[in-house]
Amino acid sequence: MMPIWTKSGEKRAVTLLKVQDCHVLRYVSKEESGGKTAKLLVGGKNVSPFSKPESAHEIFKEAGVPRKQKVTTFNVTDDAIIKPGTPLYAAHFRPGQFVDVTAKTIGKGFQGVMKRWGFKGQPASHGQTKTHRRPGAISTNQAAKVYRGKKMPGKMGNIYRTSFGLKVWRINTKHDIIYVNGSVPGHTNCLVKVRDSKLPTYKDCNKNPPFPTFFADGDEELPEDLFDEEIFQFTDPSVTFA
Amino acid sequence: CRVSSDGKPPKFQPPPKPVIIDRKTQKEERRFLSPEFIPPRGRTDPLKYYIERKDMIQRRKVFNIPEFYVGSVLAVTTADPYASDKSKRFVGICIQRGGKGLGATFVLRNVIEDQGVEICYELYSPRIQAIEVLKLEKRLDENLMYLRDALPEYSTFDLNMKPVPRMDHEEIPVNKLQVRMKPKPWSKRWERPKYNIKGIKFELPEHKMKAAQKWSQPWLEFDMLREYDTSKIEAKIRKELSEELEK
Repeated sequence: MMPIWTKSGEKRAVTLLKVQDCHVLRYVSKEESGGKTAKLLVGGKNVSPFSKPESAHEIFKEAGVPRKQKVTTFNVTDDAIIKPGTPLYAAHFRPGQFVDVTAKTIGKGFQGVMKRWGFKGQPASHGQTKTHRRPGAISTNQAAKVYRGKKMPGKMGNIYRTSFGLKVWRINTKHDIIYVNGSVPGHTNCLVKVRDSKLPTYKDCNKNPPFPTFFADGDEELPEDLFDEEIFQFTDPSVTFA
Repeated sequence: CRVSSDGKPPKFQPPPKPVIIDRKTQKEERRFLSPEFIPPRGRTDPLKYYIERKDMIQRRKVFNIPEFYVGSVLAVTTADPYASDKSKRFVGICIQRGGKGLGATFVLRNVIEDQGVEICYELYSPRIQAIEVLKLEKRLDENLMYLRDALPEYSTFDLNMKPVPRMDHEEIPVNKLQVRMKPKPWSKRWERPKYNIKGIKFELPEHKMKAAQKWSQPWLEFDMLREYDTSKIEAKIRKELSEELEK
């Protein structure tokens, strides 16, 4: 994570996400998948092919791509279908877009009810016998049962969670890095899924994105760094208020 | 080739090795490298630090961040939308330099009208318009937080202080000042060996100083897992910096 300053001198924190060897692996049509839209399987981050059996390599062989560590699905409209085997780059996103980021949260192991659900516990003194971090009562008398989903101690973390509506501030096309506002679930160097935001406020925000994706062998020559309009670039002189 | 009187070739004598004294590289080694360039110990991808360094160099090309240490007196002008001149000037002694990369900060302390004031500035913030070093010197410690519990005369600096003239090739002077403290209680127990402070003149009784040594951890300096040798990293970063700043 890194600080970033706006043109008015305010500081924002920004997470750097690297797009490492992402390729489209397979196209699954609407009827095949049984959903509402077509799906595209995308894989990221190359990994050695020797730790899995040959049967697991079929998808990668069809696309002509080395074995990937993670394969995710993206729901895609019919006009945005991409041929399997095309590489995906960070330039697929543009500064000013809003993005949802999904990742597995940091695993905390078996945790008690105070850390896992934020319960208040009991006082430390004034006669409390062996009860300082316990949940206390778990149900009422009338119910005569404990409801399903009752908050109790258990394994915390290591589940998929999404941060919605994160702004993309800057894109580095040379190293394929996306600068995303705020924090992102997961530990450093973990695998993350970045998707166009589905929040209703940001429905019309994407002005002329590269559609269906940014092709590296196309005619467009992008500069090394793409900045949002509000970012303070370090080539400018210091901020002054008129 | 020459043949000796015996008819056999003469014994091989290696040529004398040339002794090169490279004064330029020696001078470069002594040059100052700002502590926020050295990446901390961790498992982050070095690419992140490389990209941050590129941004830091970009900023340094436009805005000059002078060399300074903890204990030097600085004057900083920042842009302020609520001031009449739209800019604010603060003079103070640098008591701490923290943070790595773009978020590097330094804290300036001064006593204005009997009230101690500490301001934490970010080195790479675009609001800073000028940093001048009024007095460049080092002190015996890397962290002068104990000035909060010292007599206020050690933290007062004139707001209109003139910069102390200094030659370029002089070594940075180390001010071996031993500071006198206010009576206890202090904000932290500075006599304990964990802070390792050399710049205080402790006027505590002997038995108190001895009792403080109970918390000493003499094995810490020999702990090999805590070693972080930055010489090679520093050399690489220095080379990168000098190349980039010359462009």
